[in-house]
Amino acid sequence: MKLLIVEDQAKTGHYLRQGLTEAGFNTELVADGSTGQQLALTGDYALLILDVMLPGRDGWQILQAVRGAGLDTPVLFLTARDAVEDRVHGLELGADDYLVKPFAFSELLARVRSLLRRGSAAPQETALQLADLRLDLIRRRVERSGQRIDLTAKEFALLEMLLRRQGEVLPKSLIASQVWDMNFDSDTNVIEVAIRRLRLKIDDDFPHKLIHTVRGMGYVLEERDA
Amino acid sequence: MRRLSLSNRLALLFAACTAVVSLFAGVLFSRASEAHFIELDQQLLDGKLIGLRRALQDIQSSESEVRLQDELSRQADLSLRITGSDGQRWYDSSIRLPKDLPQTPGLSTLSSDGTDYRVLNAPLYLDKPDSPQLTLLLDITHHQHFLQRMQHLIWLTVGLSALATALLGAWAARSGLRPLRRMSAVASGVSAHSLNARLPEENMPPELAEMAHSFNAMLGRLDDSFQRLSAFSADIAHELRTPLSNLLTHTQVTLTRPRPIEDYREALHSNLEELQWMAQLVNDMLYLAKADHGLLMPKREPLELAEEVDLLLEFFAPLAEDAQVKLSRDGTAQMEGDRSMLRRALSNLLDNALRFTPANGEVRVRIIDQAKGLSLAVENSGDGIAEALLPRLFDRFYRADPARQEGSSEHAGLGLAITQSIIRAHGGQIRCESENEWTRFVIELPKKN
Repeated sequence: MKLLIVEDQAKTGHYLRQGLTEAGFNTELVADGSTGQQLALTGDYALLILDVMLPGRDGWQILQAVRGAGLDTPVLFLTARDAVEDRVHGLELGADDYLVKPFAFSELLARVRSLLRRGSAAPQETALQLADLRLDLIRRRVERSGQRIDLTAKEFALLEMLLRRQGEVLPKSLIASQVWDMNFDSDTNVIEVAIRRLRLKIDDDFPHKLIHTVRGMGYVLEERDA
Repeated sequence: MRRLSLSNRLALLFAACTAVVSLFAGVLFSRASEAHFIELDQQLLDGKLIGLRRALQDIQSSESEVRLQDELSRQADLSLRITGSDGQRWYDSSIRLPKDLPQTPGLSTLSSDGTDYRVLNAPLYLDKPDSPQLTLLLDITHHQHFLQRMQHLIWLTVGLSALATALLGAWAARSGLRPLRRMSAVASGVSAHSLNARLPEENMPPELAEMAHSFNAMLGRLDDSFQRLSAFSADIAHELRTPLSNLLTHTQVTLTRPRPIEDYREALHSNLEELQWMAQLVNDMLYLAKADHGLLMPKREPLELAEEVDLLLEFFAPLAEDAQVKLSRDGTAQMEGDRSMLRRALSNLLDNALRFTPANGEVRVRIIDQAKGLSLAVENSGDGIAEALLPRLFDRFYRADPARQEGSSEHAGLGLAITQSIIRAHGGQIRCESENEWTRFVIELPKKN
């Protein structure tokens, strides 16, 4: 799965490539718009990450060229300009998502994964599982080590999200957006509290903890060696 | 063409008015005196005519010559010509009389060889149709001189009074406009550093008092905005200084000597937290800057407020349960607005309310649907906020709780300012009231933007 990053700021580009490569993606980085467009038009990429302001051809022009060539490669825009018209313009041209600088890498990674997952139809699962934690999607029940655990509807949705994206660090903003449909910047600590309350039910009574906090980045559900 | 100053215009106008009025008066007066002189001359000549007719009753007698001389000698400026009915000149009392005299009967005026005459033509005998004609000539040169002098005097008066009123008018206009000049002096002295200058309103004439009041009010608003703006910039620097200093110190201390890998990880995590805090601050400030420039353009989606509030209450439910605070909503209303922006605005209010509600307290959202608009109140029980602090709550970086100092808390103190910007972008108003241990944020919104 190959990703193309077109970003003219060397430091940003370098860290983006390093981060995405380490997250398991085959990533290519170019710094100018013209080369970026040539590469994008080959159709070899599963996702394009485009800066708006670029030397040569800007991000919008590349997007237009890609859509004009009939390619439906998902496109994620990075922009330092947070003008409403810019967003509207990008979305009208067929961008799939945008991130405004400064953004957190965990946020970018989560969105990249969402975009890549969008294409592939998720198999109809009836249950999700990690270690001895089992979530029954049909009967809407949760068990750990065979013990039934009662969760509220939102706790269930939160756990379902963590299980579906197990191993991924999920930023708080993404959780708020996916579980509560709250898509705004907020400095509230609701998510921390919600995770703490879920831990109380899922992890506290068991020796192996499954929900982990990644400081400054978010939360991850995974099995770790004690 | 250069434009005339207001005082010069007024002065010229005054001068023109005075000139017209005095000219009119002068002309009227000179006409009246001329008419008066004519009347006097007529009376005099009529009297002389009677005397002369009497003297010349019998023109053939030698006595009549004596009587005529006698009659004429009584009035030195009077001359006489007697003309026969055939036009023959019979007698001239003086050799200097002009040759041609007007023949029209009655009074007329004649000017000849530098002498002015009032001339009266009348028949000697009223009962004879072919009577000889008497022509009486009265020298009125001195009258005419007097009239001419008076005309000169009138022109002089017109000129002088116009000049005088022009000068006086200019002076009056200038002193009348002095408050305006004072206003202009104050205005020209105003800069970003001296926005506290004010005009003395009490000394102003009533016509200008209102203007001075508006002017002062404008200065007041500018001063206030500028104060806030400069405080804002100072606050930004101040807010960023603490995390920056933490980052610098922590990074330098970490790098001073080799450490176990765990320490590096810890340092990076700590830096990450500071950086995220700063990123959030910068994003919030950009949002506010956008609002200040009128770039916050809310979408117009039809919204069911009860639904939106319930979703938010569900979002905040874990926090409320944790804090043992009861959340409730009452009432509903429909409106047009931007869902995501309003959610952000309300979430700031709810977050704020929850932070200041003691355990076993309550946070209520009340929606009241009215004909002209709707009001939404977020109220929480608790100690309440001092009256004096209420207007400052929406100021940027303002924290009601002095224990929360800059940088140390996860809240930058921009939440309520952002909420206010969002509400204003929707054409609404927000205020805070606090009484009887309840604190209430009241939003008033139009239904359609």
